[in-house]
Amino acid sequence: MSRLEAKKPSLCKSEPLTNERVRATLCVLKGILTSSYGPSGRLKQVHNGLGGCVCTTSQSSALLSNLPVTHPILKILTTSMQNHVSCFSDCGLFMAILCCNLIENVQRLGLTPTTVIKLNQHLLRLCTSYLKSESCACRVLVDFSSPQRLLCLVRSIVTSKPACMLTREETDHISALVLRAFLLTIPENAKDRLILGKSIIVPLKGQRVLDSTVFPGILIEVSEVQLMKILPIKKSDAFKVALFCASLSGDLSDTGDGTVVVSSGVSLENAVLEQLLNLGRQLVSDHVDLVMCQKVIHPSLKQFLSVHRVIAVDRVGVALMEPLSKVTGTQPIGSLGSISPSSYGSVKDLCPAKFGFKHFLHLIPNEATICSLLLCNRNDTAWDELKLTCQTALHVLQLTIKEPYVLLGGGCTETHLAAYIRHKTCNEPESILKDDGCTQTELQLITEAFCSALESVAGSLEHDGGEVLTDMKYGHFWSAQAESPSVVHWPDLLSRCGCGLHNSQEELRWSFLKTTQHPFAPQTCLPHEATGSANNLTLDCFTAKLSGLQVAVETANLILDLSYIIEDKN
Amino acid sequence: MERLSLVTEQQVTPEGALGKEAQLPPRAASSPPLPLPSATPRSFLAVRVFHRPRPEAPRTLRAMAAVGSAKVALQVAEVLETIVSCCVGPEGRQVLCTKPTGEVLISRDGGCLLEALHLEHPIARMVVACVSSHLRKTGDGAKTFIIFLCHLLRGLHTITEKEQDSLISKNIQTYRRHWKNCCQWKFISQALLMFQTQILDYIMDHYLSKHFLSIFSSSTKERTLCRSSLELLLEAYFCGRVGRNNHNFISQLMCNYFFKCMACESGFEEVFDLVDDYFVELNVGVTGLPVSDSRIVAGLVLHRDFSVYCPADGDIRIVIVTETIQPLFSTSGSEFILEAQFQTSQFWIMGRTKAIMTHLQSQNVKLLLSSVKQPELVIYYAGLNGISVVECLSPEELSLIQRIMGLSPFILPQASSQYEICNTALVKFCKPLILRSKRYVHLGLISTCSFIPHCIVLCGPVQGLVEQHEDALRGAFKMLRQLFKDLDLNYMIQTSDQNHTSSPLTCKNSRESNPLPESVNGLIQRPYQGTIVKSKGKLAKTQTYLKVCSNLVDPSIELETYTPCSTPKVIPADTYQTDETLRCLSPTKTSIIDDNEPFIESNSANSIAENTRIEISYKNLQVTKIAGRGNILPVREKSLEMCSSQSYYCSILPAGCVLPVGGNFEILLHYYLLNYARKCQQSEETMVSMIIANALLGIPQMLYKSKKGKDSFSQIYIRTLHALQTNQPIVSSQTGLESVAGKYQLLTSVLQCLTKILTIDLVINIKRQPQEMYDQDSEEEV
Repeated sequence: MSRLEAKKPSLCKSEPLTNERVRATLCVLKGILTSSYGPSGRLKQVHNGLGGCVCTTSQSSALLSNLPVTHPILKILTTSMQNHVSCFSDCGLFMAILCCNLIENVQRLGLTPTTVIKLNQHLLRLCTSYLKSESCACRVLVDFSSPQRLLCLVRSIVTSKPACMLTREETDHISALVLRAFLLTIPENAKDRLILGKSIIVPLKGQRVLDSTVFPGILIEVSEVQLMKILPIKKSDAFKVALFCASLSGDLSDTGDGTVVVSSGVSLENAVLEQLLNLGRQLVSDHVDLVMCQKVIHPSLKQFLSVHRVIAVDRVGVALMEPLSKVTGTQPIGSLGSISPSSYGSVKDLCPAKFGFKHFLHLIPNEATICSLLLCNRNDTAWDELKLTCQTALHVLQLTIKEPYVLLGGGCTETHLAAYIRHKTCNEPESILKDDGCTQTELQLITEAFCSALESVAGSLEHDGGEVLTDMKYGHFWSAQAESPSVVHWPDLLSRCGCGLHNSQEELRWSFLKTTQHPFAPQTCLPHEATGSANNLTLDCFTAKLSGLQVAVETANLILDLSYIIEDKN
Repeated sequence: MERLSLVTEQQVTPEGALGKEAQLPPRAASSPPLPLPSATPRSFLAVRVFHRPRPEAPRTLRAMAAVGSAKVALQVAEVLETIVSCCVGPEGRQVLCTKPTGEVLISRDGGCLLEALHLEHPIARMVVACVSSHLRKTGDGAKTFIIFLCHLLRGLHTITEKEQDSLISKNIQTYRRHWKNCCQWKFISQALLMFQTQILDYIMDHYLSKHFLSIFSSSTKERTLCRSSLELLLEAYFCGRVGRNNHNFISQLMCNYFFKCMACESGFEEVFDLVDDYFVELNVGVTGLPVSDSRIVAGLVLHRDFSVYCPADGDIRIVIVTETIQPLFSTSGSEFILEAQFQTSQFWIMGRTKAIMTHLQSQNVKLLLSSVKQPELVIYYAGLNGISVVECLSPEELSLIQRIMGLSPFILPQASSQYEICNTALVKFCKPLILRSKRYVHLGLISTCSFIPHCIVLCGPVQGLVEQHEDALRGAFKMLRQLFKDLDLNYMIQTSDQNHTSSPLTCKNSRESNPLPESVNGLIQRPYQGTIVKSKGKLAKTQTYLKVCSNLVDPSIELETYTPCSTPKVIPADTYQTDETLRCLSPTKTSIIDDNEPFIESNSANSIAENTRIEISYKNLQVTKIAGRGNILPVREKSLEMCSSQSYYCSILPAGCVLPVGGNFEILLHYYLLNYARKCQQSEETMVSMIIANALLGIPQMLYKSKKGKDSFSQIYIRTLHALQTNQPIVSSQTGLESVAGKYQLLTSVLQCLTKILTIDLVINIKRQPQEMYDQDSEEEV
């Protein structure tokens, strides 16, 4: 028996949100998050004093995975955000900032949690049903026949990650590459059910960003020595491929629970090797051109194969097995015995390639939905950030193909939604109040808290001390340069709204976001010609933002509902 | 030598008992019994209830005399009450628990909170143990448990304070006072036990049951569940268990789930049993999505991915295997001698594996479920033959599949001859299911029992919330399972110990004129001296008689045999007409109660004498219980039957009894208990009934704490009492329902816990590591 220790009693704290320390830490977290939000967000450098690499980022997932929090309330907030990001990749900061804003605004009101939660839930329902409805004026249908809108979506995502350190030209290049990589994963003749392929990101650090490319098929990294052995590759129209998942190293597989007695004079190694060579002979006689193995190939078998001009590549790794079996159209072979001819696959072409200092074997498929995105950036941290960005963009594109809508970005969705909610609760409060037993004053207070939380998310896009405004017609978001003169003619100072849809010359009236807003009916129904003509819109992923909104309100409700924290001190 | 220091602490201050960090409200010694003040929430509350012994002094044994462990228990219970009361009822809030591993759990479940506190105080730990054992049985009521216990202790406290002041003069030594106290506690605890075994069931059966509603839709023999009442029941349950923005959604989800799973109206019990047993396998938690994305999917979702997936359409034939298909070189215990035939044996293994897999394919098998990991060779041949494979199923998953489909595992043939595979079954579909980029196996099992497989996908932003919903659903199934069981009510009217002082009885009631049969009168008017002996003899008689009864097969004969024993046809017109459907009342019993009505205890016996008397009667009670046990079987079968010894009754609270929520049960019981107490003669019985009746009110008080005006507690209380007195139907402002059986269980559990607390007279605190347990024999030898 090891040491038996009695459990320490837990610490129990009541009303955690009223605690000054908790408020202060929440405020600090909010500060970190808001300052990183958007294209002009400030970068954060996270370095652990006990080791590990330094991470420069403005993305929520990278930031919070490196930033441990201790207070249980913060933990809830951050895990909720991380879970959201792992589902949707995008809108993590939006979700977390909105949640912080909601908590802060509601705290100030001093209403009972019951009322707050009920009304928050109602307002959330209003938002989601509006965003899903046809009349929604901040939702745009995606037309897959023209790539323009998808390109806008990808570009908005890439520009919103300033830590990638891309120039304008590089941004355009990367956006186009990501979109191409995504389009390559769509099967050409899809039947009733669309199964997307995969884009494999291949790292190449230390190169110029503009050297990044995308290829159909798979790039397998091989050492230069190995490549020299393989070369020259004989030319043919199709290469026959055998893909093994079983080890070809000649180790004896599982022999069972009992004992195996080897009588003297019997060499097990020779027997196994003989078996492998038999396999090799079969492969040669079946005219296989390329043998790939997930695990290790025995040197003798390798030698045997190379003598017979069969290319052998081993240690492919489990991650590549699925794409490889898709590219070659085979099933991984798990047997060392007779191989049925149906388990061989083929590739259209096989060529060596050299990018930067790395050597690759490029498998070009006949027709497959696998592509390789060769991603270059100058240094490690910037590359990591760029890789995350590309993954986010690819994921967002996948989500968009499922639900072909995008939302207007650049803060316009938030301000428009806030205007809509204000107008709705001001004009039709009965629909909300009828079953709840809340007063109209309570509803107005909560609506104000909710809407200003949304608006201040939009407001956090502005980091340079400029003015943030909203127009009184569409409810879009506008930001102006700092140090503007006291008396200004707004149309001259502003150019376009956050998403780029509206122009300042349209006879609009503006009001400051931070002042109290008067409810007005934002113009619903998006003018189609407007969205068609504007080709440089800032767009957001619909699915991710909608879910982010829901999760933010749910998490805020959860945190506001806490009355005790019981900390286990063991 | 061991140093043994006995420290007797007469005055246990709150600080002393609860540690430095606990701040208890100063409670006046003579707080009024009614209305009960509720504890005020404190800004900071550390439940470091008891100081841990330091390891530096390992060899001291410190005994702390608990001056009325009840007093300490009250302090403990009050601390627990403040924590628990914040989560009670529809207005309750959430509590965040962190685990030492860093996970956070969100909970409103009382049991969970109490466990998370890791209390150190021995009495607190005992209370927590009682709560968890109660939860294991019923799955509900942990918070109410604490509140009720707290109010009971408060009631006891005030009463004993008074008695102490009046009875014991100040100059008696404190030590003696202590022992006197202990006797008193023991005495009260016995009274409580009496109450629990006799009065409670009696009141439930006689008075309360006429208010009960049923969850079943009609009064027909076939019990069919009423959907709307089930919805109300579940909504009320989830109101107290999950966050208030989610309870509607979750209760709808559960209701839908239940009705989707139910194959036919009558087989719902099996569904509950199955879901309760395999709850973990039947739900999938997904984090990162809003709660509103939770849904029900038809079929079974296995928490793993395919090893090989070959798409197939139409009905799919499946087999289950529990061993590897590929033969191994040697099995355990055997020896494989390898000479020159290594290659041949390997070829044989391959050939055999291939043969089995092709054979499976020829039998049209498309899916192989395996409880073990299969070698690569098997996977390869499965893929070649178009058979999908799922490996490493847990034993629970496997037994669930077997139970749903009635399918037994496939046994590998010894010889490779061709044969029919008999252990196969069909599934409607078999496809991967992707939830939050994790892949699951989704099977459309075809059920052979009354459970149609469906799974719940529970979504939430954080794992803690998903877990909370899982726990709540699980508790709800447990609660329903409990609800659909009949509840036995056994009680007795101890005529003997009520008659011990009886001089001639005076029967003043209206039925005086009714000629009571001699046998009954004889029993009642038996003189005091002979009571114990006689009643013992009588019990023995009853026992033999009951044995005879239980041997009888035909219930009608049984009834006939009863008649000469019980009094014939003296049922007065005004008693319990409403209960006809539930029970046939014993006229004997009625008469006894009525006879006791005008009884006034003339003799205030001193406590010691009383004590012994109760102990004796308690023994009788035990005997009767044993006697009754032999009889239980036939009674249960007949649903409602009075078992007619004069002192022992047994009836059944039928399955599915519910009452409207909002403290209805408590107020009703409170009312009838007060009425009963007024009729009672014995002081301790009256006292216990009063204490319990008043304590019961604490629960509705807590529920209506935030309500004002018409919905405030006092208004509702007055309205209900008025309705009861005038025999009007009670109008409840709330729509939910709650299980009566659960409430009853709760009441008995709390009383048992209280009895346990009161019977403790000494808490011995040992400051050293627990010794390893040796056999009793060896210890004696040493």
